[in-house]
Amino acid sequence: MMKKTLVLLIVFLVSGLFGLYSALADELSGSAILSQVDKNLQPQSYEMYRKLINVEPDGSKKEFVLYSVKKGQDKMVALFLSPASEKGRSTLRLGDNMWLYIPNVGKPIRITSLQSVVGGVFNNSDILRLDYSTEYDAKSITQEGDTYLLELKAKTNAIAYDSLKMWVDVKSVLPTTIECYAASGMLIKTLYYKNTKDFGDGLVRPSVLETDSPLYKGYKSVMIYAKVQKKDLADEVFSLNYLARVDELR
Amino acid sequence: MYHRMIFRILVSFALVASSAVAQEEFSFDLEEFEKKSLEWGGYTEIKLEHARVNQNSAFALLDSYGDSRSSLDRFTATLQLDGNYKKEIVSFNWLVQAYGRLDQVQWVDEASIFEAYASIKPTPLASIDLGKKAFKWGKGYAWNPVGFINRTKDPNNPEESLEGYIVAELDLIKSFSGPLQTMALTTVLLPVGDNINEDFGKSDNLNLAAKLYLLYQNVDIDFLLYTGNSRTTRYGFDFSTNLATNFEIHGEIAHVPKQSQKILNSDGSVETREIADTSYLLGLRYLTENDITTIIEYYHNDDGYTNQELNQFFELVDDADDLFTQTGDDSLYDKAASISQGSYGGTQVGRNYLYAKITQKEPFDLLYFIPGVTTIINLDDESFSLTPEAVYTGFTNWELRLRYSLLVGSSFTDFGEKQNKNKLELRVRYFF
Repeated sequence: MMKKTLVLLIVFLVSGLFGLYSALADELSGSAILSQVDKNLQPQSYEMYRKLINVEPDGSKKEFVLYSVKKGQDKMVALFLSPASEKGRSTLRLGDNMWLYIPNVGKPIRITSLQSVVGGVFNNSDILRLDYSTEYDAKSITQEGDTYLLELKAKTNAIAYDSLKMWVDVKSVLPTTIECYAASGMLIKTLYYKNTKDFGDGLVRPSVLETDSPLYKGYKSVMIYAKVQKKDLADEVFSLNYLARVDELR
Repeated sequence: MYHRMIFRILVSFALVASSAVAQEEFSFDLEEFEKKSLEWGGYTEIKLEHARVNQNSAFALLDSYGDSRSSLDRFTATLQLDGNYKKEIVSFNWLVQAYGRLDQVQWVDEASIFEAYASIKPTPLASIDLGKKAFKWGKGYAWNPVGFINRTKDPNNPEESLEGYIVAELDLIKSFSGPLQTMALTTVLLPVGDNINEDFGKSDNLNLAAKLYLLYQNVDIDFLLYTGNSRTTRYGFDFSTNLATNFEIHGEIAHVPKQSQKILNSDGSVETREIADTSYLLGLRYLTENDITTIIEYYHNDDGYTNQELNQFFELVDDADDLFTQTGDDSLYDKAASISQGSYGGTQVGRNYLYAKITQKEPFDLLYFIPGVTTIINLDDESFSLTPEAVYTGFTNWELRLRYSLLVGSSFTDFGEKQNKNKLELRVRYFF
């Protein structure tokens, strides 16, 4: 009887330890893959050009062109180059802080991540997106054929989306589809990474990001990336006083 | 076999066509966005206004010496041009505006240089600006008590361009890691003399304004100072921070230890009194899940007039009208007009105001359509303005705005004595 109890106890402890180990392994590999996704999507300090296209249900489009620079994990600034009605507007993100500078208004105003300065399905946090691993923790990882499915949870409630489901290509370790959820569990939008392209200097990543949302039925927004390249930037570039001068970085 | 071949050709054609569409959809030609030394843009605008005049109000009487129209139709055409020319670390920047305005009474036109200044930027940490430049200091949306070198903005159109002052400005920025993320010091020298910034204050003086900005633990903080002999010395502080991703708060406080103010006494005499005032503003911006943005601001204007002081001015205009109607003597009208200028005739001259603006982005899935409503309430006499509006930006580079303003208040109240009862306005702006 005593022997049987001892065996059961050992089995219980071993399986408990194994479970704990496997959970830790999942978490480790999930966060490692998330960090790799970030590394594969962009260099640490870089500039890029993006075209945003809002497509309406009747097929009509509105286009915006942005120049952006990013440094480290939490500093990013974007400047509108087109259309003329938006030209000169710039948005700055420092961690959870976001500001919008409109030339006519002449001073930066704080904005929120869920707002959209361009209308359409992309909001400010999509346009000024920080590294995924800066904002989210990997809660679980499963492999489905040649795809990983990562379940991500926002690190704080200051993040635009409470949780993400991210499908990652096993071979390239690049995201293919991301579903963004509110804290209530409601699906806010789905992002699709497409058209992988060689940007030079070893950077091979998707050149198109599409999104749709159940909140905007029939609407679609597309972001096209160009000239994504490393650039050395001073920290002072990411400050309110510099916002009116971002164009000088080009 | 023949049918299969045709089918294959059709499928191939469809694939090529769809690929061409995809290519077209995702095309991005960077060439047209290459950086150029000379860049310019601007907008042209037409504005149509129909106003119903509050004929018995103090400001309608004062404007026409008792012979006010019942309504006014106005057409305004505006052209604004901005641009810059860059050569290495030096750039020249400009912003000019010209307008022509026609109504049943007169034609007015004016061209102004709002800004024209040279910038020298040797490093991202420092810049020097010399020339005419506009400043918009402060965190408030409708009012800025700490805007010591700002032009006064119109709370009904706070986002419009304003004329600058001729200045020399030095801007220094430093970033840090830690709770203090950014520190920036802006120092402005503002001379006043013959043909230079004459409308700023007393002539033949060199004035200094400075702003120290800190981003400390996710809070924007400014300490502001103005000193010089053109205006009296003043001190300010403002802040802004997000309490949640959808909830921002801001505030300003300005202290002026000594200030002179024109005041109309109960015996009809006018004197200039010395006061010390502390004005402040508290505001918030809140975004709901269904994209409704609310901006609310409370403003205490410490150098504003009390209800009783405003009443004395309105009574003077009333007496001026009686005298003019009965005898043709316009001396009291002249006196009231002179007192009105730069004091009682300002946009908001009371002591306590509440501003609220509520806008909803793209309701009913209507992209680029933003309806909203704005109210400004004088909390002391409970008169107010109410302005519903709708903005549409769906056509690239066009902005259409339809706005209706209603001014509500009994006799001898702030909004009850404004010139108009209501106004309908259509503004069409094209950017290029």
